[in-house]
Amino acid sequence: MNQQTQQIPVVRMEHITKHFPGVLANDDVSLELYPGQVLALLGENGAGKSTLMNMLVGLYRPDSGSIYIRGELADIHSPQDSMALGVGMIHQEFMLVGNMTVAENIVLGMRELPFVPKIDQIRAKITELSKRYGLQVDPDAVIHDLSVGEQQRVEILKLVYRGADILILDEPTAVLTPGESRDLNKIIKKMLSEGKSAIFITHKMDEVIEFSHKVQVLRKGKTVNTCDTAGVTPQDLANMMVGRDILFSLDRCAYNPGGVKLKVDHVTVVNPLGSRPFLDDVSLEIHRGEIIGIAGVAGNGQTQLTEAITGLLHCTSGKIFIDGKDMTNSTPLQVIRAGVSHIPADRGANGVVGDMSVGDNLAMKKYRTSEISRGVVIKRSFLRAFADKLIEAFVIKTPDQDTCVKFLSGGNIQKTILAREIDSCGGVLIAVYPSRGLDVGATEAVRQNLILQRDKGNAVLLVSEELDELQMVADKIAVMFEGRIMGIRDVKETNTEELGMMMAGATGVRRNA
Amino acid sequence: MRIVVEKRDNKSKSAAVLIPLASFAISLILGAMVLLASRSNPLQAYSAMLNGAFGNARRFQYTIVESIPLLMCGLGVGVAFRLKFWNIGAEGQYVWGAIGITWVMQFWKFLPVPMLLPIGLLVGMTLGAVWAGVPGYLKAQWSVDETLTTLMLNYVAIGLAEYLYISAWKAPLGNMGTPEFPREAWLPPVWGKIHSGLYIALAFVVLLWFLLYKTRWGFELNMIGKNPRAARYQGVSIKRNIVLAMLLSGAICGLAGSMNTAAIAHRLTKGVDGGYGFTGIIIAWMAGLNPFASILVAIVMAALTTGADALQIAMKLPESMGEVLQGLVLIPLLAGSIFVEHKLKVIKKEAV
Amino acid sequence: MKKLSVLLVLLLLSTTLMFAQGGKEAAPAAAGPFKVGVIYITSPGDMGYSYMHDQGTKAAEAYFGDKIEVIRMENVPENDASARAMEQLIDAGAKIVFANSYNYQDYMLQVAKENPNVYFEHCSGYLSNENMSNYFGRMYQMRYLSGMIAAKMSTTGKLGYVGAFNTPEVVRGINAFALGARAVNPKATTTVVWTNTWYDPSLERQGAIALLDQGIDVIAQHQDTTEPAKAAIERGKYAIGYNADFRSVVGSDNVLVSPMWDWGNYMIPAIESAMNGTWKSQAYWGGLEDKMVHLSPISPLVPKDFQNVVMAKQAEIANGTWDVFWGPLKDNKGAVRQEAGGKMADDKMLTMDWFVEGVIGSVK
Ligand SMILES: Nc1ncnc2c1ncn2[C@@H]1O[C@H](COP(=O)(O)OP(=O)(O)OP(=O)(O)O)[C@@H](O)[C@H]1O
Ligand SMILES: [Mg+2]
Repeated sequence: MNQQTQQIPVVRMEHITKHFPGVLANDDVSLELYPGQVLALLGENGAGKSTLMNMLVGLYRPDSGSIYIRGELADIHSPQDSMALGVGMIHQEFMLVGNMTVAENIVLGMRELPFVPKIDQIRAKITELSKRYGLQVDPDAVIHDLSVGEQQRVEILKLVYRGADILILDEPTAVLTPGESRDLNKIIKKMLSEGKSAIFITHKMDEVIEFSHKVQVLRKGKTVNTCDTAGVTPQDLANMMVGRDILFSLDRCAYNPGGVKLKVDHVTVVNPLGSRPFLDDVSLEIHRGEIIGIAGVAGNGQTQLTEAITGLLHCTSGKIFIDGKDMTNSTPLQVIRAGVSHIPADRGANGVVGDMSVGDNLAMKKYRTSEISRGVVIKRSFLRAFADKLIEAFVIKTPDQDTCVKFLSGGNIQKTILAREIDSCGGVLIAVYPSRGLDVGATEAVRQNLILQRDKGNAVLLVSEELDELQMVADKIAVMFEGRIMGIRDVKETNTEELGMMMAGATGVRRNA
Repeated sequence: MRIVVEKRDNKSKSAAVLIPLASFAISLILGAMVLLASRSNPLQAYSAMLNGAFGNARRFQYTIVESIPLLMCGLGVGVAFRLKFWNIGAEGQYVWGAIGITWVMQFWKFLPVPMLLPIGLLVGMTLGAVWAGVPGYLKAQWSVDETLTTLMLNYVAIGLAEYLYISAWKAPLGNMGTPEFPREAWLPPVWGKIHSGLYIALAFVVLLWFLLYKTRWGFELNMIGKNPRAARYQGVSIKRNIVLAMLLSGAICGLAGSMNTAAIAHRLTKGVDGGYGFTGIIIAWMAGLNPFASILVAIVMAALTTGADALQIAMKLPESMGEVLQGLVLIPLLAGSIFVEHKLKVIKKEAV
Repeated sequence: MKKLSVLLVLLLLSTTLMFAQGGKEAAPAAAGPFKVGVIYITSPGDMGYSYMHDQGTKAAEAYFGDKIEVIRMENVPENDASARAMEQLIDAGAKIVFANSYNYQDYMLQVAKENPNVYFEHCSGYLSNENMSNYFGRMYQMRYLSGMIAAKMSTTGKLGYVGAFNTPEVVRGINAFALGARAVNPKATTTVVWTNTWYDPSLERQGAIALLDQGIDVIAQHQDTTEPAKAAIERGKYAIGYNADFRSVVGSDNVLVSPMWDWGNYMIPAIESAMNGTWKSQAYWGGLEDKMVHLSPISPLVPKDFQNVVMAKQAEIANGTWDVFWGPLKDNKGAVRQEAGGKMADDKMLTMDWFVEGVIGSVK
């Protein structure tokens, strides 16, 4: 460590300030990264982490302040400029072109690319790199067809292909399964061993402690603390970020389920492109005042289950009942009218309309009701009051409700969705990875909110990849594997080990089937 | 030194106004260069155009008359464009409007004469709506590419109109035209050449503005246009709205056709496919799909057409020069729209 | 941004100022040249219909010298734009306006009624007013002669005709052509294809090719481009031109002859009468005797003695002893359309919607 400080930092940002209309995103922030080092950048949602890093790769220009790369003043105007300096970034929202292949995406926008690229050479180099770092991807696969985890590998390949040795990772594990996260961590360690350095943004405290050498905490655009990682605890970090203690424990009423609210009865959904069905004879009941958690490695039918319930995916066979009423293959609107609200997995693509304002996005369920409309006419004054109420209640950080949602920080986009869905919940709440990308404080608030819904007598379906979240929040946990439910367990009567085995496909001992 | 295009951090409001103005100025300069190259005085040419379009009451009226169908078609395609549904079939829908009103005027003899005009306009609207609804339905139901279907359907409509005025519905006397509509069923004038279609067009501006910006349906269209998947997750039916929006879009373009026929030609005849539907696409685009802005853009486009006549008369320039100048206006304006969201930056090499 | 706005405002201001200065129209001088407005459906560069009209306009310009000034407007669509064009011509001082396409007539009549001090000349229609005439020429007479030549040179006896629209004018031309052909070869047939366009190079060519593919070896046309003729020549077959002398335009003696217009012979007297105040409204349909139409020089491939036969027929038409639609005439379904021993009345010719014997095809 000491000898590192004698070296010239590979990245030095000095007195960076950046305004957006109505927001001071970075306020005189300085940062240093030394060779071979990992710097963890922490902070609440909207603290300015992504903005700071975006300036390092030329997506934004600082209002003032300067950037030095390997000791030399750098003038970075575009990602190409930063790439030429060996700085590459994996963004919070991926930046791949969906209908192009992996290979095309990797070379897209490279400045030294010849007019007619030699695709064979490119492919060979990709294969070599993916072997070296253990990043299996098919260079000819189309991005659309890849899972999030695979897409992330493509993002990493893109960086190493272009020779980046300063890596910026903006919440890389937020969208990954625990297994994928472990793989990613291995890859990053391998890169560090080759002398690369990294800046790592995350909301997961254990990752910070496992990985980083140094921690820098931002709050409201300012640096509030910089320290060595050795010796800090998750509690310390949370405290630095939020400025108060985080409880990491939740209040809840006693488990006292009512009647059956949502019933999924032997539902099968065939996959038109694959051999194995998305959902294979799935049955599930959720009572009023109950949270059922769905555990499982991503891609085992969890999203399809939620989409079948919400009318977005056609059930091949089986039935779905809400309040005893047959809702099988109803339209999404009918399901919404039946009181189901839905926090979808892919927030950018399905959860918000990025080019519409925060206010409009908040109103996207309730605009049909008299809370916002009079007949077919939307009352702007009603909508504004409604939106302001939710912005305040859910602590959404936005300059005003007229700002386009796409300009919010990742976590605040998620909060916008949560606010809308929780507010409009009329009996059933389906939440898929609701705490993805949220800071510790917000995560705590979301979990508390889910429990609140349950206590109010709503039925909650929570899909999550984090077992500890499920164990903390859910009353029962159902484990999905290859489109089937391997078993449903009472939280109190199961443990991480059993759930883990079921997630891997073991049926386990059925105690109450 | 090099020049880069950077995305603006935020859309600039003043840029949205200044850039089209600057683009317009650039196109004037480009046009001046072309005019100079053909040995004409650009100032004289431009003033002749301005004079030709607005020089006296009569010319002003002609420009307004020309702008009415342009505005209507611009409004019509604009509705579909909100959904990113590329209706380039406005021309065909317009022609169907003309066919519809002719059908009523010529064959619905059972109607009392005063009813011919309102019913004719309605039938024209309906046929235009159907003609647009078909590609809408094909897209909604089987994702058939709408650019192709709407484009092809233009030629079918134009071909049918030709067949009708050349043979099937031809007036006994003369050729390439159906019989003239009864005089009492013409769309009445309001001021000189300007006919009452102006009021209809303006009413549609207000109506659409209300529909698109104030109602739940407009909100849904906005969602679908900007993120169809999210809209579907919010319970908005994309298929239904595509068909609805196309019906409305086609109805407006069809009404444009039946209105113009009842006001000007008073019969289905050669020249019905005056290109209003195609120019309407440009109008919708340049007006940023805003109904009120469309008024201004339609007048500018109409003035370019009416003003171009003056180029031939006053400047003795070939007719094609008028078209060249019109094209020159478009290119910088369309290119300019990029810079509302992006900015140019000149980077001088700084000492490192 | 501020600097830019100031700049823009300045720019706009200066342009408006310039407009204001340039905008002052030169007031029409009272004793300037007599102004003549001309409206064309296409551009005279098309070597077709408008080209021939422009030859007439040019003849008038040559005849009157600087006593007249012609203002031309080309590519004027047949809708409201034509009324606008006429009014702009009148604004510019035109005292007589010519328009050369059929569907201008409604608009011309409307403008004529509103401008009683201006004379209007509409070509190819039937409407008129105190200050509006219509005029046309008996092109069918030349079509007949060209049909004779076509039949003479054909080896198969199968002739083809690319027609634009089934208007009486075109139908009459086809019938005249077929009658001329049958006068030389009683077995000759004339096959018709419709393109439904006056001007479309590729459609016109396609029409000719469809005919050539049936073994037809002479292609005649009522179209505005040279494409049908070119298609025939490329296959080593013969062509009959129209409007312009295709033999010199295309550069091949396989163009046997071209029926041509002489619009100048109408326009010059019309302008003259307008200038000296003797202009009278009329419905004019002039033929060979009025020099409204003529044949181009005949290709040297056509035997000299046969050329004399054609010229003799032409003289017969010119002196009025005979005309093309001379009874008895039957249509191609066998019905008698004109009793023996006489010339067909003009109104029957002007509404002709049937084909004579020897034509393969239908008017509809
Ligand atoms: N392009 C933009 N236009 C306007 N405001 C922006 C823009 N980008 C970011 N902001 C604002 O800047 C602030 C900082 O955002 P940033 O994305 O840097 O947060 P973050 O620390 O990455 O948060 P998260 O953990 O939620 O991703 C936020 O208030 C956000 O709304
Ligand atoms: Mg962020």
